[in-house]
Amino acid sequence: MLRTMITATNTLSQLQSQIDIIGNNLSNTGTHGYKAKDAKFQELLYQQYNNDKLDKVERDSPTGIRYGVGAALAQTQMNWKQGSLQSTDRDLDFAFQEPKQYFNVLMPDGENGQQTAYTRQGAFYVSPMENGELMLVNGDGYPVANAGGQAITIPDGVTDFSINETGILTATYPDGTTQQRELAVSVLQKPNVMEHLSATYIAMPGNLEELGLNAEEIMTDLQGADREEIAMANGMLELSNVDTSKEMTDLMTAQRSYQFNARSITIADQMMGLINGIR
Amino acid sequence: MFRGFTTVASGMIAQQRRTELLTNNMANANTPGFKADQSTIRSFPDMLMSRLGPTQIPTEDPISGKYDSKVGAISTGVYMQETMALMSQGQLLQTDLNTDIALINGSLPVDEETGQTGAVFYRLQHPTEGEAYTRNANFTLDGAGYLTNPQGLFVLDSEGQPIQLQNDDFQVDSSGQILVDNVAVARLGVSFSSQPNTLVKQDNGLYRSVDGTDLPSAYNIDNVTFSMQQGYIEGSNVDTARTMTDMLTAYRAFEANQKVLQAYDRSMDKAVNEVGRVN
Repeated sequence: MLRTMITATNTLSQLQSQIDIIGNNLSNTGTHGYKAKDAKFQELLYQQYNNDKLDKVERDSPTGIRYGVGAALAQTQMNWKQGSLQSTDRDLDFAFQEPKQYFNVLMPDGENGQQTAYTRQGAFYVSPMENGELMLVNGDGYPVANAGGQAITIPDGVTDFSINETGILTATYPDGTTQQRELAVSVLQKPNVMEHLSATYIAMPGNLEELGLNAEEIMTDLQGADREEIAMANGMLELSNVDTSKEMTDLMTAQRSYQFNARSITIADQMMGLINGIR
Repeated sequence: MFRGFTTVASGMIAQQRRTELLTNNMANANTPGFKADQSTIRSFPDMLMSRLGPTQIPTEDPISGKYDSKVGAISTGVYMQETMALMSQGQLLQTDLNTDIALINGSLPVDEETGQTGAVFYRLQHPTEGEAYTRNANFTLDGAGYLTNPQGLFVLDSEGQPIQLQNDDFQVDSSGQILVDNVAVARLGVSFSSQPNTLVKQDNGLYRSVDGTDLPSAYNIDNVTFSMQQGYIEGSNVDTARTMTDMLTAYRAFEANQKVLQAYDRSMDKAVNEVGRVN
């Protein structure tokens, strides 16, 4: 009886986590550049009971019986599929038309240094600097990196921004001169290795060396001739790739499972009541 | 005295075990590749009851001796003898992830001696030794690019080798060939068991043979057909309505046993407190 209860409670808490993940997906349906997360279950331990030592009858299965103790979340995977593009007609809104390509932004690492974070959210702005130049930043104020890994700065007085397909930003000035900057673009090879910093930022895990992994194999920077692979669009933003109907279906399934497991606890409780009621 | 006293107790324990098993099935109703456990309840081996008594042989000088006549068989209870997984196909669920590759049963031969239908499994490398088998096709790529199950065990190809890929931009055709840029790089390993009941079920959806021997590859076995579907997982084959019904049946059987136990208790009450009372 207690076993029934423990099996059901193990699963209830994990279902709660699945519902949390679904809730996070649903709340980010309007977040540009968000990629849906998909949580899947797996079986927990099986325990062997050798309860038939005295009965030597022929049987199909190996000796004893095996009991499972419920289910737990196995892994959450990021769905890297392309989200649909939304036209905004704003000069500094950029979107990738190919999945797995990422902008690099320079984020403070909390210790006076910088770390590179990756995002597909391309709503950028220019921010004036003390020396009179402009810096290309994203909505959170983090500098956008150029192909050399440095913040992108341009002289002030720009009349027009545009970006070409391979990620080269062109700033036009009133006298007709232009300034060009290459935006850094990286291709994500192993989505499941990345650390998720927020809904839209991912970064290299801190224990990369411990894992024995090579950063280049996980996230490949596109340089030189490889930049031809970049598919960037101007005046557009990428919507999240959350499929609301799928999420709602998953939510309903999870809720029903939650009820079924809660019912198991009720049944176990009633059985305990029966034991108590023997006398 | 009351022989049935322990018999009903064993009935209660058997129904309790059944409830525990059904709870685990219910808990895994959302686990990919989970195969519902089925239980068999078996009567304890019969005992032969004898009547013992004195007898007199009618001779001139009567001889008294022990007399022993057989009354008949009596069963002293039930227990849960076997748990066996129902190997039927689970329904396919679309996930859009390239690393989810559902295995779909085709025609599988029925073993003439045992009447069991065979089963096909993906081959995994077990961390200690030998191979483990699974139907949970919710795979992923680890940091080094190896195709693994959620637990991190290597998925093996048809030659028994781990499968290393650069990223998850690959296609799997229905015959299990993994194609990268339309070039076949490996073929997913699939093993065939003619008697799936002899496999031991373990955590994380693994099945292993009792003696540690590896199952034969399912390719090139006559009459065994199967196919793969990328972007899908095989759902659990637990029927929640049936599980709930079974659970209520087990509950009522438990209650009936409890009622009989109470009846025995009342008989004992009479024997102790009323038989031989003077007033």
